[in-house]
Amino acid sequence: MNVELTELTRRFGHTQAVAGVTLEAGPGVFGLLGPNGAGKTSLLRMMATALPPTSGTLRLLGRDPGGYGPRREIRRRLGYLPQNLGYYPGFTVADFVEYFALLKDMPPRRVARAVATAIEHVGLGDKARSKLRTLSGGMLRRAGIAQAIVNEPELLLLDEPTAGLDPEQRVAFRALLREFGQRSTVIVSTHLVEDVAAACTEVTLMDTGRLVFHGTPDELIARGEGSGAAGDAPLERGYSAVLAAARSGVAARS
Amino acid sequence: MIGDELAGGYRDTGPGPGDVDLDRVWLGVAAQVWRRRPGPVERAAGRLLRSPGLARALVTTPSLLLGWVIATVVILLAGIGFTLGTGRPWVALLAPAVAAAGIAYAYGPGIDPAWELSQSMAVSDRMVLLIRALAVFGLNAILGLAASAASGAAAAVTFGWLVPMTAACALALAVATATRSPNTGAAAGMSGWLIVILSAHAAGATFAAVITDSALIAPYLAFAACCGAVAWFATRIPRGTS
Repeated sequence: MNVELTELTRRFGHTQAVAGVTLEAGPGVFGLLGPNGAGKTSLLRMMATALPPTSGTLRLLGRDPGGYGPRREIRRRLGYLPQNLGYYPGFTVADFVEYFALLKDMPPRRVARAVATAIEHVGLGDKARSKLRTLSGGMLRRAGIAQAIVNEPELLLLDEPTAGLDPEQRVAFRALLREFGQRSTVIVSTHLVEDVAAACTEVTLMDTGRLVFHGTPDELIARGEGSGAAGDAPLERGYSAVLAAARSGVAARS
Repeated sequence: MIGDELAGGYRDTGPGPGDVDLDRVWLGVAAQVWRRRPGPVERAAGRLLRSPGLARALVTTPSLLLGWVIATVVILLAGIGFTLGTGRPWVALLAPAVAAAGIAYAYGPGIDPAWELSQSMAVSDRMVLLIRALAVFGLNAILGLAASAASGAAAAVTFGWLVPMTAACALALAVATATRSPNTGAAAGMSGWLIVILSAHAAGATFAAVITDSALIAPYLAFAACCGAVAWFATRIPRGTS
């Protein structure tokens, strides 16, 4: 298993962002769904080793990120696209991707080709020498995806990767997800259930820091059938039904 | 696209082996065309640090960029002018404040746009901070010593400010990392040094006393060590509970 989480929690003061999440993931594309404030970003940041858990067990790529050596090894084999991608306006796309390839400790001889491959992969070949400040939001997002995949990661964590992408780019991006999912663990946090339906082999739904559903997209769809839950698409109805059931359960307990 | 032109050009040259992977060829070309050639400083830093990633991070330090260095030189040149004009050790008084500001802007969440991403990189952000802070300190020390020597200051003044500069820089670094704000760090470093100067002056000592009084060396160094410990603690990566 590339990702093993056991009773993982994260608190910020009195707020519990992630509340005892237990999850295992091997190769494949995993959709992480949930409303705003559900704890998706905090969970992804913990898996990206950018945020330590408050309690619980976290093992990534068979290693414990608590120690310096294992954490460094995990980071070499990790790709991460944060929700708010910071960038250096004066860098070109190629500079930006190369910068993170070097910080990921890639062998210098491999960097130039890996950068070119990643940039072509996200369809930014004609913008490789353009400064980041001249790019549109969608192009910046793709530059962010390029830095995440430049090291051919075994664990790829993407927080709202399709935000700002046009429909054509989203289709291409889903193909990229499926390709990486064949050999790596790809975890995608998104609000867009159509991305999940098109690309994900498994879906995890979070609400108020808790994991309230884990299964295949078909299983999530089945939860919505006959439930009368709101939604235009079958997966949206499943999403609404699971959330409603989770919240009514919480309300019943409280 | 260049790739398409390349593909067309290849086809125009006549029949070739049918199994040539043009995508692969193009990637090889693109890798060469888009490749960034590191400058001599980055190459030297890469060899010295044995890490191209650290070297790349070093040459992107905000307070080592050309504009910042030029501003530092201009301030020190003004200090030389004031020193020569008034006879007071202005270079020695200015250099620690300038260095403290530079250290505060070396790295951090308030100044580095890609901070969030940097935290998940194999080359640790703490190591990047350390290397950048040392480089900024070293450059400021060299510029300050040159300016001090050019202003005709006595040897005690020329070298005396290095220890207080260490303390001011350590304070700026500690506050910048603890508050995650380079502005606050720079303000703390500069105002801390100003308070020391004004306090000495209020106590009846000369301005040069804060630099040349050997009795102050131990307190400066102890203060710098404490601030260094704060910075070290503030930039620690908390161990997971796994």
